[in-house]
Amino acid sequence: MIYDLIIVGGGPAGITAGIYAARKKIKTLLLAKQLGGQPTEAWQIENYPGFESILGVDLAKKFVDHLNKFKNDIEIKGGETVCAVQPLREPFSESPPENGSRSNDALFEVATDKNKYQTRSIIIASGVLPRKLGIPGEEEFKNRGVVYCATCDAPLFKNKIVSVVGAGNSGLDAALQLTKYASKIYLFNKYPAFDKADKEYINEVEAASTVTIFNGALVKEIRGEKFVRSLVWENTETHEIQEVETDGVFVEIGSRPSLQFARDLVEFNERGEIIVDSQSNMTTVPGIFSAGDVTNNLHKQIVIAAGEGAKAALSVYEYLRSK
Amino acid sequence: MIKVYSTPTCPYCVTLKNFLKERGFEFEDIDVSQSQKLLDEMVEKSGQMGVPVVDINGEIIIGFDREKIVKLLDIKE
Repeated sequence: MIYDLIIVGGGPAGITAGIYAARKKIKTLLLAKQLGGQPTEAWQIENYPGFESILGVDLAKKFVDHLNKFKNDIEIKGGETVCAVQPLREPFSESPPENGSRSNDALFEVATDKNKYQTRSIIIASGVLPRKLGIPGEEEFKNRGVVYCATCDAPLFKNKIVSVVGAGNSGLDAALQLTKYASKIYLFNKYPAFDKADKEYINEVEAASTVTIFNGALVKEIRGEKFVRSLVWENTETHEIQEVETDGVFVEIGSRPSLQFARDLVEFNERGEIIVDSQSNMTTVPGIFSAGDVTNNLHKQIVIAAGEGAKAALSVYEYLRSK
Repeated sequence: MIKVYSTPTCPYCVTLKNFLKERGFEFEDIDVSQSQKLLDEMVEKSGQMGVPVVDINGEIIIGFDREKIVKLLDIKE
């Protein structure tokens, strides 16, 4: 069995691509570790048209329900992790071979942890993963005080001392969520001043009486016994090492593209994001398209990811017809 | 007997509880943000402090681990 299209990813970009592909009757398989994607972890979403205010988890469910409406026209496999994508033949030229058409041949093989599939085109919509600190103690104390989803776990730190690492919008948002629960919040900013965050967030955090801001502070180690007890950090100006008592460490230092499986295939920018053509969402490899936060699009937004998913699916339709 | 330890703000908890409800399972819904005692009970049982935690007849599952839950509850998918 050869698919016309395999979509990798089940967030807003992958789901929208799936809906468009199903409506175009493209023979499609959608592979996702988990359907719903990043909105599942967001709290209130207030900038998706048609929904003035909706819980991320509810919006994600609407996306998934909508996709499932097309289940006769698209194959959906959750719980499979894509390990590798490989071209089945060379070269990647746009022109057909001299001896005739090759239009129905598979171009790529997609290997997951469970199966192997062949396809004529691919949309990579695998999104991003939270960036880690990479310091001693981080792995050891994961879920033992080290937290990557502030929305999920902030209420567990009632009357506790917590540290937030990262002073971009997501770090400040985590600190503000924590003001409702924790007795004391340390905010660690590795830069000498606020760099990328919105003024509105900065004002709120600076006004919060329970938040202490450390600028130019590089975290070095998370210590504890069974659970987190303290955080060690370095003053980047004086190089003085200090230790603060803390019950929780909320890591909010952004995200990284999730695409190990395509590492040697398509071209990336300096942030490790897939470079796509802004008209067609095609990558540097003909037949491979990409959409959503994993691409080099500048603004990581649900509505943009969905829009890119639609663009990529429609481009796939054109691409397959031209072959 | 199924117990779900959760917080009101945790999306995976909502997903997990809907998953059980849709399949007709009754469970005790424990909001650990409301009581230090219940939070301690969850930490004691699971050895960690992330939510959700599911207790299915004494078997502890950390996170919304769909495969494990399906297996333990013998759900046909």
